[in-house]
Amino acid sequence: MPDYIAQLRCRLAELGCPRGRLNRLTREVADHREDLILAATRSGQSMSAASEAACHQLGDPLTLADSLMNTFRRSSWWGRHYLFAFGFLPLVAFPLVWGLFMYLQLQLAYAIGFHCDDQKLHAILNNPVTLHHWATFAYGCDYTAIGLVSLLICWLARRSGVSLIWMTIACLVGATYTLFTYTHVSRHNYSIGLTFDPQWIRAAIPVGTAVATCLYQRWMIGLARRKVAA
Amino acid sequence: MKKTNPSFLNGVPELLVLRLLSGREMYGYQIVEEIRIQSRDAFAFGEGCIYPYLHHLEAEKCLSSRRQEVDGRSRNYYRLTSRGQKRLAELGSEWRRVAAGVALLMGEQYA
Repeated sequence: MPDYIAQLRCRLAELGCPRGRLNRLTREVADHREDLILAATRSGQSMSAASEAACHQLGDPLTLADSLMNTFRRSSWWGRHYLFAFGFLPLVAFPLVWGLFMYLQLQLAYAIGFHCDDQKLHAILNNPVTLHHWATFAYGCDYTAIGLVSLLICWLARRSGVSLIWMTIACLVGATYTLFTYTHVSRHNYSIGLTFDPQWIRAAIPVGTAVATCLYQRWMIGLARRKVAA
Repeated sequence: MKKTNPSFLNGVPELLVLRLLSGREMYGYQIVEEIRIQSRDAFAFGEGCIYPYLHHLEAEKCLSSRRQEVDGRSRNYYRLTSRGQKRLAELGSEWRRVAAGVALLMGEQYA
């Protein structure tokens, strides 16, 4: 007979329970099970009979895991409003954070003195090394903004125990947005906007983040299943 | 329109848990044991189902929990918060009203 706690752990992992929460839930139920076994053995039952009775008293582990996850999902705002959080918010969050990073770049340029010192600006733009550094920084900011929003979505989905389907939808919305917007830096030209020329690298960031999160979850489930099998 | 009470039937486990924790802090197994003893085995339920209720009440900030070691064993102890006390008072008065209504309906032989 598979171990009760391992079964509970496996089901919780399958339902997308975050690691910290999963450890707390299983530890609590394991404590309860130990108490039940202890009470039964004290009353004269054999260890195996006590262990079996404890599982019976606790109830079906799969039903218990479902119930625990339902409670967990309902306990957070993101879990209760997943449609809004993962269906609509990415539409706003991606352009908003991207715009914020653009604004920070401009503020940095102003702080360095680009806006009032033409000679300094020309000196930088005419130097291929400094231009390269500036372009790297600009593209870095662009990719960081996209990556941050993608990570935030995946983290929120994991933390609130929302189905990975919703996380994937949110990241696909982000990927569609980033596919058709661009940042371009060249000599005397810094442009942002919409384009019909697909920006595959930008779009790969939210997709990659979602895939990595899904793989992590699969690894967690695999780990839990191996424990049940053992 | 008359106020309905959807928590009438759903609120019973909550009421029991809050009532027990109003006396002292307890862990899951202890709560189940107390329900069993004090109700004289009136309820039959899978003992694990106490945890969704405890976690729900904790998320609602009606309970707080802490890990504590007692007699060499570490356990999650739950205690009532001030919000929990208010919730207990609400559920308690609701229950008294409902119980009185049921008693009237069922007659003296069931009271």
